Amino acid sequence: MNDLLVMLIIDGRRVAIPAVEVKSVIELEEVYPVPRSPDFVAGLTAMRSQSLTVIDSRLAIGVSDGRRTCQRAAVIEVEDHLYALLVDEVADIAEAQSDPSPVAGGFGAAWQRVATGMVETDQGPALMIDIAKLIEGPLADAA
Amino acid sequence: MQFMGPMQFMGPMQFMGMAQMDDLLADFVAETREMLEAIEGELVAWEADPSDSTRLDSIFRFVHTVKGNCGFFDFPQLEKLSHAAESVLAEVRAGRRQPNSRLVTAVLAVIDRIAEMAGMIEAGEKLPDDDDQLLISALEGRLEDFDELAGLQSAGQSNQPADQSPDPSSDLSGHQPAASRRSIRLPVELLDRVMSGVSDMVLARNDLSRRLRDAGNEPTLDGPFERLSGILADVREAITRMRMQRIELLYNALPRLVRDLSAELGKQVMVDFEGGSVELDREMIEMIRDPITHLIRNAIDHGIETPSERIARGKREIGMLSITSRQSGNQITMAITDDGAGLDEAKIGAKAVAAGLVTQSELDAMPSDDIVSLIFEPGLSTADQVSAISGRGVGMDVVRSNIEQIGGRISVSSEPGKGAQFFLELPLTLSIISALTVSVEGQFFAIPNSYVEEIAHGASSSVVFSEIGDRDLVTFRGQRIPCLTLNNVLDVTPRRAGPDQRLILLRLGGGDIFALAVDRIHDQEDLVIKPLSPAVMATQVYAGTTLLDDGRPVLMLDIPAIAASHGLVSDIRSRPVNTGEGVTQTAATSTRTLMTFVDLDGRRRAIGMDLVSRIDQVEQSAFDIEGERAQVVIDQKIIELAGKPKGAFPAGKVRLLRLSDSQSDLAYPVAELGETVEYDGSMAPADTDPEIEGVALIDGLPIPVVDGYHLFAAHGAGPAPEAQLVCRLPAEDEWVNRMLAPLVKAAGYRLTEDSDAEADVVIITGDTAAGQAETHDNVITILSDPGDAANTPGIYRYDRAAIVQALSSARKRSVS
Repeated sequence: MNDLLVMLIIDGRRVAIPAVEVKSVIELEEVYPVPRSPDFVAGLTAMRSQSLTVIDSRLAIGVSDGRRTCQRAAVIEVEDHLYALLVDEVADIAEAQSDPSPVAGGFGAAWQRVATGMVETDQGPALMIDIAKLIEGPLADAA
Repeated sequence: MQFMGPMQFMGPMQFMGMAQMDDLLADFVAETREMLEAIEGELVAWEADPSDSTRLDSIFRFVHTVKGNCGFFDFPQLEKLSHAAESVLAEVRAGRRQPNSRLVTAVLAVIDRIAEMAGMIEAGEKLPDDDDQLLISALEGRLEDFDELAGLQSAGQSNQPADQSPDPSSDLSGHQPAASRRSIRLPVELLDRVMSGVSDMVLARNDLSRRLRDAGNEPTLDGPFERLSGILADVREAITRMRMQRIELLYNALPRLVRDLSAELGKQVMVDFEGGSVELDREMIEMIRDPITHLIRNAIDHGIETPSERIARGKREIGMLSITSRQSGNQITMAITDDGAGLDEAKIGAKAVAAGLVTQSELDAMPSDDIVSLIFEPGLSTADQVSAISGRGVGMDVVRSNIEQIGGRISVSSEPGKGAQFFLELPLTLSIISALTVSVEGQFFAIPNSYVEEIAHGASSSVVFSEIGDRDLVTFRGQRIPCLTLNNVLDVTPRRAGPDQRLILLRLGGGDIFALAVDRIHDQEDLVIKPLSPAVMATQVYAGTTLLDDGRPVLMLDIPAIAASHGLVSDIRSRPVNTGEGVTQTAATSTRTLMTFVDLDGRRRAIGMDLVSRIDQVEQSAFDIEGERAQVVIDQKIIELAGKPKGAFPAGKVRLLRLSDSQSDLAYPVAELGETVEYDGSMAPADTDPEIEGVALIDGLPIPVVDGYHLFAAHGAGPAPEAQLVCRLPAEDEWVNRMLAPLVKAAGYRLTEDSDAEADVVIITGDTAAGQAETHDNVITILSDPGDAANTPGIYRYDRAAIVQALSSARKRSVS
């Protein structure tokens, strides 16, 4: 398990997603709101002449009121759709040193939904998350 | 071979078992043959004169392609041969080797051998293992004795070992080419992928263009960029064409259907097709196949009567069914016409009442066109007996929703005893949609043009807002129309509709009309629509997304879904209620939508918005002007140019208004686009310039309005009508000559003023005494007073749409 991970900070927590899933990291220029969409959809933006759906990660996980502190976003692709994940910070690239594993007592209700498990990295432990679950937003489970 | 996975070594024999591989192989053989045929002439010419190396290119390409394909299919023998030939030819091309008759003979021998092998592959035989070393040696110039080669050649053909002997059919190989068309087969998915790639390239180009603009003037970049844009436009056009198929493809299956159906029902039906060469997106053809089939079934089952009934009604024994397709701009119109009994209004009405769609009193007030349109309502099937052919309850509502799904529209008109006509309007492709961009609170949205009926300024005197409970209503042209504000729909600063907004009248397939109030209307553009992410799709307000030229993402509104969620669909009772006399009131209004612009000579002008089908931008080089003749090339089509400037053309790109009278196109160059205004004032006459219809007062400025009738009369050739009908006009009427005559001519009529002449249609002006005495059964009355038009049957003379409509329905009557 020497996969590369992109380390993100979401709501102050250290989170990892596999680097292969991140197409690029962009500075968000302008985000065009999408009226009537769920809160966690921050809007649309354009990257290299493609439309991206901008997802506010905190709201999508359901952990915060969604203050945005960072304009950098990780671009991912899920089922042919491109998303920009709005996070506190895109921290670094790290190397995974273990497989994702559960933690006794879980990660907390909101985090549990998106979590794959805890992963050890050369920069310390982080929560590995499933981006497909993340972009579904907090209501997906209720439905 | 990687894609074959674990099956490491496979000869051609094994391949044949796999259906997919079979197809590929068949393609390979067909392609090889095609190329062989194509280079046959080159081979002969080269043989006659080996020094003529210009012949070499196509021969080289042939062996090169064969070599490439062999690598893919794993035919090592064939690959070795073609590789050898390729290397030799490459040397000749590079001038390292002089071609002589020996070399030519050797190459020809190799090519013959390739043809032979292709035949063996097709027959499913194993290629002989014996290598063609002698042939290859000969190619490489090592074989001295050419008699030996000649001997080998004949041996190669006749001396095939018995165990590998082919069945006789392989002799057919190189000599009986399977197909003579120069075409290749491609998987459809590949085409789709290329198409979406090109669409992305267009968006990327737009992005780049915006960045270049932002960066300021960069003469060194502008040239190459323009070139890139030009090439991209060409490629996009070509790719779009690749996906286009003639509508014949759809037609081809229909005669059989008609024959079988009519036989089954004991009817006699002749079917007539027109416009088979019209091209449609392949996907679109598939999408309309079922609806069209259904319409034809219906026409034969319900429309056309049995022979005895027809004779009893004084009709020809054989019923006529005609299907015509026509392209106009980026739309295809299809008409399916039968000369049967027409739709049974009474029955449809009764069913609608029984099904609770309308009340009896509402029905009584409905014009007959509206009644027949009820057949598109869910759950209304007029068949008394559920036959196997049609009338299973899945009826016209399904047809309508299928057509709407692809951005099209369907309507019906019927004349009792004479027949019915279904009229379909379809977009050319599915992925590029012509749309109107609008905004509320600075946020942009797109609305597909196919829904847009009309646009009005909220401040226009023809628009009256009222609030009924919480529902906004607008009264427009005598109709009360439910009105939504986009602000409320999207929950962006909710508000009441008001005169500071613009109104877009949207017509849904069922005929439901509602108005959508927006802050501003921006532009009409062809947009490449992309699917939305599920999270956004879940809002059920948007149908797709796209990027505008300035790189801004916009959402396309899902109009039917919005209407449905606001309860504006399928409830016929909420349909616009006529406040007064019914349809004639629509004809009575004198409001027109004008678009202002600055022409190339710097003059401000306006033109009727209904004429403008789109706005193009072309290079200066696209213009071809010589003396009186002025044309411009847009999208590979030559279009007549109107409004030619007196001075020189400006350098660089020129904007063009594409004008359409629904039959032919004209281009009108403009320097600057102005705004769209709803104009309901009067127009001061402009006597001196025939190109000017009158002068309108817009925002306090006098702006001459370009006379569309005149333009089309002067420039628009129009397609030759199938049969030129004659229209009689009132004699010596200045207005008729100036305004009406060109319009009638443009509609495809020959004109006469002679009251004794035979005419198919007669137009009279309401105030002539001669008009009152007219006995012709195809009369259109033109009224000069909009007030009269409300009270008497007739058309107000500036209601262009109504006049054109009357002329075209007169044509239908005359032809049928």
